[in-house]
Amino acid sequence: MIQCKTSKEIGGMGHSLKRKEDARFIQGKGHYVDDIKLDGMLYMDIVRSPYAYAKIKKINIEKALKVPGVAAVVTGRDLEKYKLHWMPTLMGDTQMVLPTDTVMYQSQEVAAVIATSRYAAADGVDAVEVEYEVMKPVTDPFKALEKDAPVLRTDKPGKKDNHIWHWEVGDKAKTEALFKKAEVVVKENIYLPRIHVASIETCGCVADYDKVNNHLTMYMTTQAPHAIRTVIALVAGHVGLTEEKIRVISPDIGGGFGGKVPVYPGYVIAIAVSFLVGKPVKWIEDRSENLQADSFARDYHITAELAGTKSGKIQGVRFKVVADHGYSDSQAAPTKFPAGLFSIGTGSYDYDTAFMEADAVYTNKPPGGVAYRCSFRVTEAVHAIERITDKFAMEVKMDPAQLRMNNFIKKEQFPWKSPTGWTYDSGDYHAALKKAMDAVGYDALRKEQAERRKKGELMGIGISSFTEIVGAGPSKDFDILGIKMFDSAEIRVHPTGKAIARFGTKSQGQGHETTYAQIIAEELGIPAENIAVEEGDTDTAPYGLGTYASRSTPTAGAAAAVAARKLRDKARKIAAYLLEVSEADLEWEPGKFFVKGAPQKSKTIQEIVFAAYTNHPQGMEAGFEATHYYDPPNLTFPFGSYICVVDIDKETYEIKVRRFVAIDDCGNIINPMIVQGQVHGGLTQGIAPAMYEEFIYDEDGNILNGTFMDYLVPTAVESPHWETGHTITPSPHHPIGAKGVGESPTVGAPPAIANAIVDALTPLGITHLDIPITPYKIWKALKEKGVVKPVA
Amino acid sequence: MKTTIEKEFQLEQPVAKVWAYLSDPTKIVTCVPGASLTEKVDDRNYKGQVTTTFGPVKAQYNGEINISELDEAQHRMALVGKGLDAKGKGSAEMTMNGQLTPSGNGTTVKFVMDISISGMLAQFGSRLIKDVSDQLLNQFVNNFKDRLSGKEVDNTMKASSMMGTVLKSTIGGIFGGEKEKE
Repeated sequence: MIQCKTSKEIGGMGHSLKRKEDARFIQGKGHYVDDIKLDGMLYMDIVRSPYAYAKIKKINIEKALKVPGVAAVVTGRDLEKYKLHWMPTLMGDTQMVLPTDTVMYQSQEVAAVIATSRYAAADGVDAVEVEYEVMKPVTDPFKALEKDAPVLRTDKPGKKDNHIWHWEVGDKAKTEALFKKAEVVVKENIYLPRIHVASIETCGCVADYDKVNNHLTMYMTTQAPHAIRTVIALVAGHVGLTEEKIRVISPDIGGGFGGKVPVYPGYVIAIAVSFLVGKPVKWIEDRSENLQADSFARDYHITAELAGTKSGKIQGVRFKVVADHGYSDSQAAPTKFPAGLFSIGTGSYDYDTAFMEADAVYTNKPPGGVAYRCSFRVTEAVHAIERITDKFAMEVKMDPAQLRMNNFIKKEQFPWKSPTGWTYDSGDYHAALKKAMDAVGYDALRKEQAERRKKGELMGIGISSFTEIVGAGPSKDFDILGIKMFDSAEIRVHPTGKAIARFGTKSQGQGHETTYAQIIAEELGIPAENIAVEEGDTDTAPYGLGTYASRSTPTAGAAAAVAARKLRDKARKIAAYLLEVSEADLEWEPGKFFVKGAPQKSKTIQEIVFAAYTNHPQGMEAGFEATHYYDPPNLTFPFGSYICVVDIDKETYEIKVRRFVAIDDCGNIINPMIVQGQVHGGLTQGIAPAMYEEFIYDEDGNILNGTFMDYLVPTAVESPHWETGHTITPSPHHPIGAKGVGESPTVGAPPAIANAIVDALTPLGITHLDIPITPYKIWKALKEKGVVKPVA
Repeated sequence: MKTTIEKEFQLEQPVAKVWAYLSDPTKIVTCVPGASLTEKVDDRNYKGQVTTTFGPVKAQYNGEINISELDEAQHRMALVGKGLDAKGKGSAEMTMNGQLTPSGNGTTVKFVMDISISGMLAQFGSRLIKDVSDQLLNQFVNNFKDRLSGKEVDNTMKASSMMGTVLKSTIGGIFGGEKEKE
């Protein structure tokens, strides 16, 4: 049971408060970008390239302009006049807004049609005729790196290959020495395919430029409104749109998961058109556009090696990555971390030797590389270490649970310095795995498995004991385009003791309106239900870098606690004045200050706040407001142990997840119900890439599954029953001891599932399968091994 | 995306007659559903058009046809057609290899078609494209038979019936039903 310090009425930390935002969502009163309708609003639709690589010879717009309702067709040549045809990416690369000469991936934006209705815009798109000269694309990142591969980024002067950057971390010499002398070395090529966040709401915006006041209001689906405002100012400052003239409003968002961090060409075109015609322009993607053109995630080709002893002691790892970035490096990651936080791949184990390197490559695929429910490449890293650890256990013939227990960093070793330079803040890995094993009945399951194997049945048990890294991040290392990755909270308490709090983050379903209110309730004793939480309007909210990578609680949540404590300090001064005692004589309990030894002499927080406006001490600033910009001293390191049990049909290879136990540790829990909801959603987004999701491109760069008919998102039917639980190991440096949680299950689930499936197939000689693992993939692998019996 | 389709069938016509039709682009091309010749460049090269409708996607390919092999002794021919959609929605490339062998009084005809499609049509995924191409080839074979026996050929693409047949065979495939008989 979680101990609560506050009463249910106050509803501070640990209470399973029902989500305040759900009242509007369950009644259909959510307010999304597509709900916005402005007077005189125009609609935009986009012509997209059918080819992965082609020269544009001519764009014929005459027929489109004759379509009733079509007002304009915008091409790259039009934007070129305003130097808006290219834009910078978050990673310091460049990306086309609209092409003038060449298209670089299928579904790339080619032209935009502006019309008086959405239908007319679509008809206009159909009438635009584009003459292409098709070229042979490069879709394989390994081929792209070959010496004679055609150079794709001919727009970059002097660019002679398709290599983007090289990154490395760790001690190379020491690692090589270890691998030379190690008793056991295991190696595996592990591919995490290109997938998509597939949020139910697609991306879109309404750009509303007011010519009279020279002011832009940008309603858009963004997880980082303030950063977007700054980026717009940087891109469009030269045409007079400076930052004070830009207001970005991010209304309700129907799922972000990292896909709504980047700036997509559609946003920029809408702004440009609104700026030129002085009317609001709405652009909403359809499903196919969202899947085919928006930022993908993963696409990491990893060669993972692990060195250890015959007795099962892990001594070191070596990871090498080829990262397919598409035609531009437009991933969303902190500037100094081109491979994100992949260096967390040393995992939960105690050893001191590691070397990791990555090379990023241009190909004729959509740009991106978003942190899909994952703090910058952590999913890739965790999959690599947890798969290769299982392979090592198999090699030394040790139970994978036992091997993990033997190698875990011990509770008393924290804070623990990893061989790639991180300082893990806190952890108790043994406790989490023990709890998961007890919950699932591990020993009994292994016995059952042995029995079933005798009968030729395929049953597998898979473990993943992951260490996460979230809450980017400390300003000494973390910035995006130079802006430090702090986050902010501003609390205003009204005279009657009710409050509004605003944040630099932006909820997309995380429940900030509830959890932030609970943090403030915990610190100030004002009931959470009396604290309104507002985010997403850059005119009102304090500056912050937004919500992604499980950073909201570690950064803005901490800011809320610190700002509330500033107010509590002020409350103490006012209470001392009102009670005519010294501050040192006062004691706090949630909701009131009382005189030590005389608890009947007290002032409630509401009385104190009222006095701040009506009867404040001479010399004290009136009002009751505080703001804090929180710069975290370290990241937080949530962790967990997941155990998955699968049964595989020995004829059809259909995979059934029989049990899935997830024990998470995200430090102190703000709202257990919301954490559980986060874990359920995250696990479902974990089973997705493990068993279903993958973008398939042919050698011509055609995407072969660019709709929901072929790109398989799990539904309630596919989702197993999730058994969740937690351990609590508070973060020592976070003001309320909390860590992030949103992405843990998405990071931790895929290796648990993959390990379980491989475990089931071990008697048939399978030692590894890349995700997504489908019945067809199993059949193919067994056929290659010659163990599939011909159909009778 | 690429797909390969093979068809073999019997004709009650002598090889020489079948070859005369097969080797004449003006006769063979007009058996292709939706296709027409617009210009003869030389004996081996032609320009033409193919119009197809597939569900919501209408494509008109303007292309070039090259007869890359015409071996009368072996009764073997190869034809390469390349087309770009007029509206820029995609492209298609087809290589067709035809082989005639005498069998009794008649002829065995074997066609192998390699089809490569880019753009909107390719995005429908391999399952449907294969079925559509298969239906197109069936229609082509029927047209070819009709032409040989002197019947009038209507080579407009039967768009609506095509969609129905494809759906039927796809859904039939899903539920394990029998595929449409040729």
